[in-house]
Amino acid sequence: MSAQQTPVPTAWTTGWTTVFDTGTWRSQLPVHMWRPAPCFVSCPLGNEIPLWIRSITGGSEEDYKAAWDKVVENDPFPAIIGRVCHHPCETDCNRQALEQPVAINSLEQYLGDLALEKGWTLPPAGESQGKKVAVVGGGPAGLSCAYQLRRFGYDVTIFEARDTVGGLLKFGIPEYRLPQTVADAEIKRVLDLGIEVKAGEAIDTADKLEALRKSYDAVFLAIGAQKAKRLPYLGDDARILIGLDFLEDVSRGKDPVLGDKVAVIGGGSAAMDVARTLRRLGKTVQLIALEGRNELPAQEDEILEALEEGVSLFDGAMVASLDTSKPLMELSCKKVLLDKEALAKGEIKPIPLEGSDFKLEAHQIIVTIGQDPTLDGFDTVVATEGGMIKTNGGPAANVPGIFAGGDVATMDRYVSRAIGQGKEAARAIAAYLGHPEIVPLPDYTLDDAVARNEINPFYFPIAAREERGHTAVTKRLRSFADVKIGYSEGQALSEADRCMSCGTCVECDNCYIFCSDMAVKKAPEKEEHYIILEQYCKGCGLCAAECPRGCIIMKQESK
Amino acid sequence: MIETKKHYDIPEEDVFLSGHFACPGCGEALAVRYVLNTMGPDTIAVVPPSCISIISGAQPYSSMKIPVYQTTLEASAASAAGIKRALIRQGKDHVNVLALAGDGGTYDIGFQALSGAAERNEDFVYVCLDNEGYMNTGAQKSGASPHLVNTAFTPGGKPTVKKNVVEIMAAHGIPYVATATTGFPDDLARKVAKARDMKGLRFIVVLTPCLAGWGVKDDEGVKVSRLAVDTGMWPLYEVEYGTKYTINRGPQGVPVMEYLKLQSRYRHLTPEMADELQRETDRAWELLQARATCVVSVSNAEPIP
Repeated sequence: MSAQQTPVPTAWTTGWTTVFDTGTWRSQLPVHMWRPAPCFVSCPLGNEIPLWIRSITGGSEEDYKAAWDKVVENDPFPAIIGRVCHHPCETDCNRQALEQPVAINSLEQYLGDLALEKGWTLPPAGESQGKKVAVVGGGPAGLSCAYQLRRFGYDVTIFEARDTVGGLLKFGIPEYRLPQTVADAEIKRVLDLGIEVKAGEAIDTADKLEALRKSYDAVFLAIGAQKAKRLPYLGDDARILIGLDFLEDVSRGKDPVLGDKVAVIGGGSAAMDVARTLRRLGKTVQLIALEGRNELPAQEDEILEALEEGVSLFDGAMVASLDTSKPLMELSCKKVLLDKEALAKGEIKPIPLEGSDFKLEAHQIIVTIGQDPTLDGFDTVVATEGGMIKTNGGPAANVPGIFAGGDVATMDRYVSRAIGQGKEAARAIAAYLGHPEIVPLPDYTLDDAVARNEINPFYFPIAAREERGHTAVTKRLRSFADVKIGYSEGQALSEADRCMSCGTCVECDNCYIFCSDMAVKKAPEKEEHYIILEQYCKGCGLCAAECPRGCIIMKQESK
Repeated sequence: MIETKKHYDIPEEDVFLSGHFACPGCGEALAVRYVLNTMGPDTIAVVPPSCISIISGAQPYSSMKIPVYQTTLEASAASAAGIKRALIRQGKDHVNVLALAGDGGTYDIGFQALSGAAERNEDFVYVCLDNEGYMNTGAQKSGASPHLVNTAFTPGGKPTVKKNVVEIMAAHGIPYVATATTGFPDDLARKVAKARDMKGLRFIVVLTPCLAGWGVKDDEGVKVSRLAVDTGMWPLYEVEYGTKYTINRGPQGVPVMEYLKLQSRYRHLTPEMADELQRETDRAWELLQARATCVVSVSNAEPIP
């Protein structure tokens, strides 16, 4: 054999397929992106729920603190909201596609209670902007606005008509739903950021409002709705009381003098609060509501708890007339149906049912059918509409520098909504005052959110929802003890684990694992955690299909 | 029992390369990724004519960073056996030999060579990438095509059942036989690693959905693969030395129709035909469980001398 080099046979490999651009076959490209979860979209406070729940799953005190820090960016009152929120987040939770929604409200209570126990403090006030804002009304909306304004670095003064701030949180929600110690501690934590409170100073005339406007750079009106609706046709017997007054008296420790039998008129949360408070005072309670059992505006769990506690519910009924001649008043009642056409327009129009008359007896009647704002005189300063301050769809009134939120500006009367509006107002005020860091928040709808069919159920084994404990009925009726028993750490961890983190990548690596073209590269340093190698990606969409939580969308390409 | 995973963590060597010519979303290419990247760089592959020979690269380019010998359709096992014996003679016993064949090259055309190699207990890993037909040439029927399926040769539905290659290979008493599929990539990689570290003939058959040949959407191959397991049509299990059975994941109570309805090759099924497939699947599962629980008096999991 000669020493001359043998030529490479033609069948031998001389290079690698990595030189081929198989990406040219593609008509669609996967894009990793953060997408809003439905819970986040429907949260009245704009809380990015999957983020903080994911922190909880870390399981250490540091992780819980990080989760709480995330919550208080939007909600300075997790222990309060964790008890009283109507939680639309749970209503829209995608986990229902598998079994039940994640118990977001209970998790928030866990964080809130833990923070109080550990004495965690809110982030300090922001760098001074040299401007001052007057907040009129120290209820949930006002406190929330004041808190956010402090974080933006504004000086804030709250003008509160009562002797102390708190509003509904202190005088409207009974102890068994929201212990005063919890409300006080969370409110104090906010005020400790350096918020001035002028208690006992009602801003109730146009002159006082004008004066505020002159001496402050902006004014936020959050005076709530204080004027109780009444039922004039029942007459004005002294035994006919108003629900909110009654609740405030009880929370202030006054012992209202009542007979044994009390009738409560109303079907909302406040009516439930009145009825259940009466049960704790040992009264026989008859709750009369116009709406049928399934249409009651109160939260379902409140209704169930009220029934457990022995409240007699007369739903779909009205008091037609009242005989006040005897110590025990006689209520002539009728069953009613609500006019569906009127209901569709948001009006309540009862149609009495013939022959459905019945009679009830009561020593007192407590009317709890809602409140209207007291706007006497203000309408010469700001425009009003439907008994509320007219706003521009956001928090701004029609006069520059005046903003409004909470019950005075909306019929959407939930504590969480008020706190959310306080936050929105603070942002609008900061923008109005030229704060350098304000960027508008995107306004997502449920159409933008990760849908249930975008969740890959294979990756989420069925797991039952962890329910908060309930104090036994007998114990509830003997005291004003908290009805809902907060989670243990174990319960919180197991419930947090149920969150599917819709739309927020948790680096599960499925997109990387299932790519047959090795066209997905891990990139932990990048915000989206992965890089698509466009040279090779053939656009099959398997990564998007196998993403458990809808974080990859396929973008159509035209070449 | 394999549980659903929150996070797959599969160690991989960098052997299989991008730029290969498999269809978008190809189940077979996905299987090749986990087979090659688990076998590692100290491997020589033997590939007969099949989709794998396309995926391994258009000459003179290769998608596999290891020596690959493209042999004839009949001879994968014989070629692999010869290469391994030559390596041993050269003192390179540490080099793995891997035969990567399709179902046609395994169940049908390459079967005599495979059976002979098994009988001699030759020392290599044989992975059959089973897409249930001659998909490379137009979806003709193979011995691996399942009962009642539509193929180019069986337009009304295949009248005979799928050959049970797992039991046939197990009957040779070889050290390791296993099933796997792409919807459970960690299970696949674990089995390849286990086979790699054993001696003698190790045989793994991987169900790899063929999107074009089965009529499956580009992004549903993994879902179909998982349903094959969860309906019980492709139970994941291992057989050591022909006797020791380990079931990794059996049917999860999902009706076979959930699997069949995602594939246009079953579009012609009548409800009666679907019922028949359900009954067959139930019976096969019962039989497999019986085999798995069968206790023999001689020691399990030992080579028979």
